[in-house]
Amino acid sequence: MAEFIDSLIICWCACAGWLDIAMIVTLCVLLLAGYPAAFSLAGTALLYGLLGLSMGAFDVTFFSEPYPIRIFGIINNQVLIAVPLFVLMGVVLEKSRIAEELLDNMAKLFGSMNGGLGISVTIVGALLAASTGIVGATVVTMGLLSLPTMLRRGYSPAFASGSIAAAGTLGQIIPPSIVLILLGDQISNAWQKAQLQQGVYAPETVSVGDLFAGALLPGLMLVGFYLTYQIMVALLNPKAAPAIPQETGATYSHILIAALKTLPAPLLLIVAVLGSILGGIATPTEAAAVGAAGAILIAGFRVCPKTDWKGRPLLIAGTLATAVLLLLSITLDLRVGRQQVNGLETLGIFLATLCCILIALSLASSLFALLREKMLAPVVEKTTTVTTMVFTILIGAALFSLVFRGLGGDETVAHALSNIPGGVTGAVIAVMLVMFVLGFFLDFIEITLVVVPLVAPALLLMGVDPVWLGVMMAVNLQTSFLTPPFGFALFYLRGVAPDSVRTAQIYKGALPFVLIQIIALAALALFPQLATWLPDLLYGS
Amino acid sequence: MLEIIGNIFMLSAALSCLLMLLPPALLFTGAPALRDVCQHLAALFDTINTSVARTVMWLALIMALVQVGVVVMRYVFGINFIWLQESIIYMFGFLFLLTAGYALLQNEHVRVDIFYRDASARRKAIVDFVGTYLFLFPVCILIIWAAGPYVARAWDVMEGSREASGIQAVFIMKSLIPIFAALLAMAGFSIATKAVLVLRPTRQVTN
Repeated sequence: MAEFIDSLIICWCACAGWLDIAMIVTLCVLLLAGYPAAFSLAGTALLYGLLGLSMGAFDVTFFSEPYPIRIFGIINNQVLIAVPLFVLMGVVLEKSRIAEELLDNMAKLFGSMNGGLGISVTIVGALLAASTGIVGATVVTMGLLSLPTMLRRGYSPAFASGSIAAAGTLGQIIPPSIVLILLGDQISNAWQKAQLQQGVYAPETVSVGDLFAGALLPGLMLVGFYLTYQIMVALLNPKAAPAIPQETGATYSHILIAALKTLPAPLLLIVAVLGSILGGIATPTEAAAVGAAGAILIAGFRVCPKTDWKGRPLLIAGTLATAVLLLLSITLDLRVGRQQVNGLETLGIFLATLCCILIALSLASSLFALLREKMLAPVVEKTTTVTTMVFTILIGAALFSLVFRGLGGDETVAHALSNIPGGVTGAVIAVMLVMFVLGFFLDFIEITLVVVPLVAPALLLMGVDPVWLGVMMAVNLQTSFLTPPFGFALFYLRGVAPDSVRTAQIYKGALPFVLIQIIALAALALFPQLATWLPDLLYGS
Repeated sequence: MLEIIGNIFMLSAALSCLLMLLPPALLFTGAPALRDVCQHLAALFDTINTSVARTVMWLALIMALVQVGVVVMRYVFGINFIWLQESIIYMFGFLFLLTAGYALLQNEHVRVDIFYRDASARRKAIVDFVGTYLFLFPVCILIIWAAGPYVARAWDVMEGSREASGIQAVFIMKSLIPIFAALLAMAGFSIATKAVLVLRPTRQVTN
């Protein structure tokens, strides 16, 4: 009997080698039950951690000590602070209805030509990148805003829903999307680890800025592909994407003026934020904060006339002051606390201080207007819940990767990848396929946080370029979200689409976009320069 | 002195684990007295989570404004205040660690809802109940158990910033980690209670 028990125990312990694989399979199954992902991740990890303990696969210090340190590391991460700031910027643009107005005016501007509404949806989807981290949120917003209009205007349900689902996922790959920040953070960790393993003790770094720069061209390429497809549909099959009849009384110049009033400000803001990150002038965190402040100013400007608060002149003054401040800081050395400051510089410092006070006043005035309109509290609350959602998943994923590593998952993955026929190419293809399938079950954030730390170090060790890998993963996931019948984006769109749109039509509409995505992936695979050229140009190799 | 306080904290945490047994007890017995206790406790926990979150959420705005101030001072005037830069990290920590429970109550934590979305109320309640006991509570206990010594070490030396002119309160920031777990556990209690009320409906009208 004792022998039997002994052999049982031996058998039990021999299974320990499989725990890492079993853990991932279990996770996928349990996640489908629908309990919040952050806790499913951490809970599964804990269960397997305890199993591993019972088999003697590792001891308890393996996660009890590093876990709090990991959590503290998440709080202390300078790069990740950009996330709540970008979310704030996006939520301000959304809740103050600037995004809606943008879509509306864009639709009026392009609406008079065939396919115009579809084109506007694509462009706005690309512009909304800052607020798009979660596939569901964007698709739902875009779906609610534009699907009814497109259907009413006689668009084919398939073409309309395909355009919206695709546009809703587009924002993820276009910087400054928050998933790119998370992905950049993970890739940068993996890159450091890979180099240390190769014995490089002064490793090169990959920054979020690198990934932003790498994703920009492929993102714009996708926008171009989408637009080309939409224009082709409009030309070949005008019935699927008819023009909006001219509204009586509204001449084209009226529309143009209305568009010119609403378009430039958000556009300028996004270009300025992106430009300062890509140009290496500011860190993503700094740029995000300035972007949030800019969004608040724009929102305040929109909201002011609706309230009895006459803050508009102050807002204009604040905007002018920003321009003056920029000019001053470019032309003069305004640093205080130096030995010698000449008269002109003293005057400059004085003027700059004045500008700062004006900017502060105009920000305060904007916030006051938003508060009056009862917009500020919802904006802040939404920003907070999105932020805590993202970071709770990070905390859950941290435990998952600790336990997975403790169970020897690292070696299993590295071993498996190196045994795939076809060397690096085979390994990359395998990883992409796995991520593609995972995209049916998990959102971008979970995949980034769970899969990237597992596979990226091994792939990078094989000599894959980190920026290229990140961009490939992003485009690949975006493809997965669009692929029928499991694609996330399609599910969410189904949720908000009217019943008159059949599910089969949504699937049919998405297919051409999936094809476009696959072409883009192939292009990226054949010409890695698409992703690596801009970062090399900006930051040197 | 600190050690005694720490022990009291860990003891009370262990005792409050007993509270987690109330909703399953209610599920199996359906005793009206138990129902009242659970509902009152859940209401209390909800109030705590909500009032904490509604307060700290403003840090989202304040940290953006402070960061803008830091940017202007650094790029225009060439001034750096380490404590101001660090204050943003503190605000960020408070912001997301103290609101996770509230987000759970508001159902803002992302779910893989392919099946959950169209499930019946009863099935959703089962998922919520089982998930809370299988995942949420054990993880909260793990975090408090693992973070206890970690936080205690920080308090022991009153751990401060690595920079002399930084904010000397790293031990407070580290204390947020077990508080995060505690707030989540409170939200979990309330979710479990609500799930039990769905699974064991009562004909009595309760307010």
